[in-house]
Amino acid sequence: MKRLSTVFFVLVLALLVSLPVMASVPGELLIWSDGERAPVLREVAKQFVIEYGVTVRIQELPFGDIRDNLAIVAPTGEGPDIIVGAHDWLGQLVTDGLIEPIDIADESQFLASGLEAFTWGGQRYGIPYAIEAIGLIYNKDLAGEDGLATFEEMIELGKELKGEGKYALVMPQPDPYHTFPFFSILGGYVFGMDAEGVLDALDVGLANDGGVEGFELFKYLMDEGIMGRATPYDTMMSLFQSGEAAAMLTGPWAFGDVRSAGVNYGFQQIPSYKGQYGRPFLGAQGFMVSAFSENKMLANLFLNDFVATKETMLAIFEGDPRPTAFLPAADIINEDPDMRGVMESAAEGIPMPAIPAMNAVWTAWSDAIELVINEQSEPRPAIENAVQLIIQTIKDSGY
Amino acid sequence: MGKIIKGVILGIVNVVFIWIALYLLSAEAYLVFVLLLLGALLTNLLFIVPKGYPYRYLLPAAFFMILLVVYPIIYTVYISVTNYGTGNILNKEQVIAQLEERYVRDTGSPDFSFSAYRDPQSGLWFLFTDSEGRQMVGHSGELTFVEQGDPLLGQLAGYTELTRVDVAQSLQELQAQSFSYDESRELRMRNINAFNLYEQQYSYDREKDVLLEVQTGTLYTQENGYFQAPDGTRLTPGFRAVIGFDNFRRLFGNPQVTGPFARVFGWTVQWALLSVATTFVVGLFLAILLNDPYLRLRKLYRSLLILPYAIPAFISALIWRGLFNTELGVINQILQATIGSSVRWLQDPLWAKVALVILNLWLGFPYMMIICLGALQSINAEMYEAALVDGATTWQQFCHITMPLLMVSVAPLLVSSFSFNFNNFSVIYLLTAGRPPIVGAQTPAGHTDILISYTYRLAFESGRGTDYGLASAVTLVIFLITGVITFFNFRFTGALEDVSKNV
Repeated sequence: MKRLSTVFFVLVLALLVSLPVMASVPGELLIWSDGERAPVLREVAKQFVIEYGVTVRIQELPFGDIRDNLAIVAPTGEGPDIIVGAHDWLGQLVTDGLIEPIDIADESQFLASGLEAFTWGGQRYGIPYAIEAIGLIYNKDLAGEDGLATFEEMIELGKELKGEGKYALVMPQPDPYHTFPFFSILGGYVFGMDAEGVLDALDVGLANDGGVEGFELFKYLMDEGIMGRATPYDTMMSLFQSGEAAAMLTGPWAFGDVRSAGVNYGFQQIPSYKGQYGRPFLGAQGFMVSAFSENKMLANLFLNDFVATKETMLAIFEGDPRPTAFLPAADIINEDPDMRGVMESAAEGIPMPAIPAMNAVWTAWSDAIELVINEQSEPRPAIENAVQLIIQTIKDSGY
Repeated sequence: MGKIIKGVILGIVNVVFIWIALYLLSAEAYLVFVLLLLGALLTNLLFIVPKGYPYRYLLPAAFFMILLVVYPIIYTVYISVTNYGTGNILNKEQVIAQLEERYVRDTGSPDFSFSAYRDPQSGLWFLFTDSEGRQMVGHSGELTFVEQGDPLLGQLAGYTELTRVDVAQSLQELQAQSFSYDESRELRMRNINAFNLYEQQYSYDREKDVLLEVQTGTLYTQENGYFQAPDGTRLTPGFRAVIGFDNFRRLFGNPQVTGPFARVFGWTVQWALLSVATTFVVGLFLAILLNDPYLRLRKLYRSLLILPYAIPAFISALIWRGLFNTELGVINQILQATIGSSVRWLQDPLWAKVALVILNLWLGFPYMMIICLGALQSINAEMYEAALVDGATTWQQFCHITMPLLMVSVAPLLVSSFSFNFNNFSVIYLLTAGRPPIVGAQTPAGHTDILISYTYRLAFESGRGTDYGLASAVTLVIFLITGVITFFNFRFTGALEDVSKNV
């Protein structure tokens, strides 16, 4: 009997120890942030406590994990109130019912394309802090002080450089994200848009005449030796760093490597072809509010009054330099010529489609590009086939 | 002493049980909670009742078996008959709650400023002022228009007015307040500074199980995990629902899946066979060499040869991908320098397959070498002496003594290695990810996709986002295929019988 009483004693003790698990913490904000934004948010949180006496906790997660973890944790009621994320998560998060529209206090403070990227069904779902787009990073010693305004110029330059065993252009291959400007330059698009600005998943325009012609330019550049063939990102970077390529098509994330190699470089928007500019995908990052937050009003207050401020936005820029989507901070940030270049490129950008159907696009599209790079297929049949496959996949999944 | 230790251990186990149970309760996972409770009860019984003594030692094994094998299988079967995936991850209650909480702001109406008051007895009171300066007092859902000098205002003056900080700290309470303004509109909090007029978008009729769109009067009935209007419009989010065998129907009725199935299946079998054969041959060869007692530095060689096994496959695979790079890879540079031509390793369908087999050979031979070494040492040396006396050649010894005796212990491992490689997702995914693509393909399958990597594509690169329901259905089909193959493998190799005879 003594044995039993010991067991029960331990049971009672365990019950007492376990009780706090059930208690939730009302009136406190929890933010899931990536490592780059977390230190800034921690500082902002301190001010919030001073002003309102409300605690804000910041939990650090790798950027890419935030979306998937939210889907698992939020419905159990254990999730965050605010997350940091990319605009192209929007489709999934909204259709899953995981995020909540945000009432932005002053929309005129934000770059229109940044707000647009965080809009779904006419509602704003995020407060953007940064935008990004790829452009042309050029070597001033090879491509000239002002870069290459047109692909026609680039072809001229490429023919000269070929004799020296150098490329005029390098880019990550096969990579649909980086190859999109070739498709968009003469009018190709991923998803068409209806009159209300809603993307139509069954209208895939990559293989329209403009798309095919741009894709043929892509092939022509490789065939003529103007652009490197089958270069992964690292190869592209080392070719550019060693001065064996006059320009590379990539985004602001490459600045660090380029600077460290001591290349005399500039950043410009994607050159034009037949008088039309290549339009990159525009990406935006921002803050979103969880649909399962019990502190939505508090979250809105925190974001509108404490995050959407010049100081915070500049601090976010200091921590991870990307062009800002917050106009009051833009003047200072855009004094940096690199950032100004990215802003100009982004101005031509098309928000990367955020609808879940985009999932079906990447692989088939990437395959088409790879087949052309490997010279196993001509551009037109490759991309036409890919589009057919994309539409079929989207239809099969119940659109 | 023993009793005390037992009591303490049982106590700790119970602490863990209760801790998990409370967590499950708070997460409303009642099924798992009941299962856990039964498990806890059983555990305690086995320890307290003397008759339970022998079962104590079986219990941990059974527990982990159920937790890690049986439960996932049951769960996979369950998911395969649901629509779980992007757009359908919440449960129905959560979706209804969310839709009912959807309010549309009347964009034509200007903000109402407010002050909030707290009375210890009657709770929160509000004084609203609209853009035209009219004032209203709000309390527990009711609005009263007031003029200057109204007694209600005097009453409010007696309560404590909330400061901005108080408001911020009570936002959770304040955001839940609503006051009916007119027939359709409610006054609700917009932000910390203001209230505004909102209209509820949907209301749910629990008895009829339908959702009413308040403004239009449209009725949404539930259909396969969505609330759907008569014209087919679906509301998002959808919820998790059992949809029967739809996933299986989609799987077998879809030419995108059935079309490449034979080809993908064929390569999967080839891949598994080649992987087992190459690793076994190389592993056995090395084992025989290392088993020779006259070989110097045996232990050193053995340690070195085990190294590929000790390095995580993820790292090796990525290194090999670099080695196989067509333009800059070391392999091609060596080929270029020696025979003057190079191979398009990861672009050419055939060579991509060769590259995969080479990589898997590198990853897998140490395992085969280790098990062969063990098995070789268990073969009685007298047999070889007898063979020598009879004048058998080394080859005859190998064929008639080594191989048959080796197979007794190694054959089941070969079968399991076959099953493992049949589903060896990581190697395929890390080296080629199923590529190179097929020219003119009508399906998302690539040349080196095996069943499991193809499943991954179907489930996670579908037009819908992620589709766990479909993925579970495919997983079950693969489970059946591997199960059947393994069964026949055991039959034909007679592995089980031989082993049992020798035991």
